[in-house]
Amino acid sequence: MSYVLSLLILVPLLGSGATFVLSSLGGGRKTAPYLAAAFAGATLVVAGYAFFWAYSHTPALGTYALMEDHQWITLPGFGVDIMLGLDGLSAPLVLASGIVAVLSILSSRTLIDKEEPAYYALLLLVLASVMGAFTSLNLVVFYLFWELTLIPMFFLIGIWGGDRRKYAALKFIIFTFAGSAVMLLGFLALYFGVSLSTFDIPELANLGIPVGLQYLPLLAVFVGCAVELPVFPFHSWQPDAYEQAPAPVNSLLSGILPKFAGYAVIRIALGLFPQAAYQYAWAFIVVAVFSMFYGAVVALLQSDLKRMFAYTSISHMGFVLFGAFATVLSGNPLGIEGAILLMFTHALATSSVFTISGFVEKQSGTRKIPLLGGMGQRVPLMAALLAVASSAEMGIPPFASFLAELMVVSGGISAYAWTAVTVLVPVITGGYFLWMLKRVIIDPLPSAADPGRAVEDVSRVDATVVALYLVPLVLLTVFSFLILSPAAPVAQWTANLVHGGLHA
Amino acid sequence: MADYILFAVVALSAAALGVPFLQYAGRRGNLPGYLLVAALLVALASTILNATSGSTSSAPFGSLLASDSLGNLFAILTLFVTLFVAAASLTLVPSGKSSNTPFYYSLLSFAALGMLLISYSADLLMLFVSWELMSIPTYALAGFQKDREESNEAAVKYAVLGALSSAIILYAISLTYGLTGTTNIAAAAASLGSQLTDPVAGLAVLLFIVGFGFKMSIVPFHMWAPDAYEGAPTPIAALFAAGTKKAGFVAAIRVVLAISTVYSLTPQGGLFTIPNVLAVLAIATMTLGNLAALTQKSVTRLLAYSSIAQAGYILIGFVVYSYGQGNPAFAQQAELGMTGALFHIINHSVMKGAAFLGAGLVILKLGSGSVEAFNGLGRRMPVTAFAMAISFLALAGVPPLSGFWSKLLLFTSVLNTPYAWLAVAGVLNSALSMGYYGWVIKRMYLDEPDGEASRVLEPTSFVLVLGVLVALIIAFGLFPGPVISLSRDAVPALGGP
Repeated sequence: MSYVLSLLILVPLLGSGATFVLSSLGGGRKTAPYLAAAFAGATLVVAGYAFFWAYSHTPALGTYALMEDHQWITLPGFGVDIMLGLDGLSAPLVLASGIVAVLSILSSRTLIDKEEPAYYALLLLVLASVMGAFTSLNLVVFYLFWELTLIPMFFLIGIWGGDRRKYAALKFIIFTFAGSAVMLLGFLALYFGVSLSTFDIPELANLGIPVGLQYLPLLAVFVGCAVELPVFPFHSWQPDAYEQAPAPVNSLLSGILPKFAGYAVIRIALGLFPQAAYQYAWAFIVVAVFSMFYGAVVALLQSDLKRMFAYTSISHMGFVLFGAFATVLSGNPLGIEGAILLMFTHALATSSVFTISGFVEKQSGTRKIPLLGGMGQRVPLMAALLAVASSAEMGIPPFASFLAELMVVSGGISAYAWTAVTVLVPVITGGYFLWMLKRVIIDPLPSAADPGRAVEDVSRVDATVVALYLVPLVLLTVFSFLILSPAAPVAQWTANLVHGGLHA
Repeated sequence: MADYILFAVVALSAAALGVPFLQYAGRRGNLPGYLLVAALLVALASTILNATSGSTSSAPFGSLLASDSLGNLFAILTLFVTLFVAAASLTLVPSGKSSNTPFYYSLLSFAALGMLLISYSADLLMLFVSWELMSIPTYALAGFQKDREESNEAAVKYAVLGALSSAIILYAISLTYGLTGTTNIAAAAASLGSQLTDPVAGLAVLLFIVGFGFKMSIVPFHMWAPDAYEGAPTPIAALFAAGTKKAGFVAAIRVVLAISTVYSLTPQGGLFTIPNVLAVLAIATMTLGNLAALTQKSVTRLLAYSSIAQAGYILIGFVVYSYGQGNPAFAQQAELGMTGALFHIINHSVMKGAAFLGAGLVILKLGSGSVEAFNGLGRRMPVTAFAMAISFLALAGVPPLSGFWSKLLLFTSVLNTPYAWLAVAGVLNSALSMGYYGWVIKRMYLDEPDGEASRVLEPTSFVLVLGVLVALIIAFGLFPGPVISLSRDAVPALGGP
């Protein structure tokens, strides 16, 4: 048994405690970011190793690499074990989490200026839980790690956030806790429902859950995911939380946490309940497509940079849901492959735009688009970064986000031809991003807008941090096989569940 | 050997009867408290010895007491609760020259003795006597701060309703005796099972549920609880939530669930069955408790309603168990459900203990138990705030804390029975409860203190008590295996005694 995945969880977990204790003991301000960066860096190294292992030893259909199985509760009549494994679905997400965590900590250096020891400890705690959620193959343990990100996130938003941080934090925790609790109900229903009482995903998948037992758990899992993604009408917490969270926390909150839901949709909703998902795929596709348009149109109306990015995120997460269910319906693996690639690119692209919005706010004192202006002349580096990151976010080549959206839409068309209309979503997104860039960078500063005057440009170090988010996206356009080749068996396996006659 | 139980009884009786003499010797300080703590440690040690000796003999009390694993579980639990209540009282109850601490600790000792004997009772009359031994001292304890109006009101309200519930239990006992000719619980249950056709048997079971329901503070028999919890000295509120309430549960397990082989309360069967009645009580209790808790402005009242809501979750296990009594196909679920109920009873004692004692220290130090007093508590009283935050998260069922696992067992057990909607209600209620738990946590950590913001001293002995409770919450969460298997061993065999 390998211990790579345990290491992936334990390094940031122990790092969280060590960072808090060591930096509380001496020189909190100075040492905390570097200690945290070191632990996150070590996590990234492990994540990179795990990713390339999963890439070079791509597990066969329906199996996992680097499997671990630790007994936790073994009693007659009840058992939970910590089963960890990696495949083409989780490996990219693990890698993205590692990258985002390191860069988020580096950007926190300039953007966070109070109670550093606790801040970095909580950030690493989130990282540990994120890694746990993406690698665990036991439903209860998956839920446990999912929940475990919410509590530190509550404090990260509530203590270090903007003016309305307390309201946003409370709303965040109530919504996400309720959603995930409903999801847990779906998991628990399986335990006595199947002949073999177990919570292990591979065993449940091999066993094949009776179709009659699939519907309500599918609905429960979908509700949990719909809150976390989020999908209209479960999204009301999200713009507030994204807006109020400090920018580096946004990287994890908007870059990584929604991927839990995307991951759970593919791994659990489709992997365990394929027949029910197939029957109702049309409904989920309608919800997804609506969400894509809804997010884009509402983003168009926002005057706050972060709220605009937040609604863009709703729109992009709709793509993930769309691609996943399109594959189930049509049997064409393109949808899920695109969704996996999109989750990776979205994690980095969204993190980059949110991080810049943090720098914009720090230098200008506002994020309101109408109050900003003339950045191109005053702060050219910041303007350039904003423009480049926005291109990545709206999905313009050479950024791989373009490729991902293309794959999802093509996959979708093979399910329903009418979904070709979703091609318009990237067009709308491109439209409002360019409009925003015009107002913020090119237009002169509005006369009444002293607060919108950026005083100083971003430092070279901070600019490098943002650029580092974007480099993998450019590389991926060329080397997309790094993600797509391990993703292919996962997509194929999921498609086979209904269309390959494996369990049908 | 049941002799071990005798040690416990003697130690507690000695403390209960001996400590008041200190009043006349002029020793009104904390000495009585230390003596009680010592007596409780002796009692706790002897019950643990009794549990580990694996004895199931009932000598020397004839058929009055049964030394089984269910009894051991509750005896250890209630003694442990009284122990931390007594230890915390050393800080929270004023021990000046004019105080009556000897009587306070003596009453506490009587209550502990009552709870101990309830846990082991195998006879209805023994159960009733122990019940009164537990209840009557707590009426006085609720009104212990005799110059506080709320304390007096709490005591009167509690005493009147408590006496009513005792009367109801006594009536149920008399009906049972009339029907079966015995007061032995096992014999009475078996005999009632053969009297399906007699509606009086159903009435007796209902009256037992009502009578015990008062102590368990299940809706609609909960009215006394918020007032009593708020008016009583806070460590006594902790005793109500973590101790006497659990005595109500063990009595219900011993009597009501043993009889639930009867299954149907009316001759015709139909809707009026024990699991159905319990299920309605469960959903009413958890929903009303949580909704009421959302609107509270005082933290002790909030905790009182949260305690009511938690009783609703525990009842889920009772529903599954009594359903399994009548439907052998669901035996596995029934066992898991009762395991979950017992585990949640243990967890609830620890979680609520930490929460109430923390609130007690805040009231003592800041002079107010309103939610505003908790603003910025994370800075002012870091240990207390941390202990309360952990216990709140555990009460809400956040993993990996203790409350998560017991709720998980309860919900899992009920999901594939006809009562699956109870799991849905339970999960939605857990989410709802985050509304008030998160609200108080927000006040403690996100809000700034109103007015004075200085650090408040937290006594070391008290920090120790809170530390033990928090450590248990986390340990039960990370390593739930041993406690779950203890709870499982204590589940009474299905199919009646």
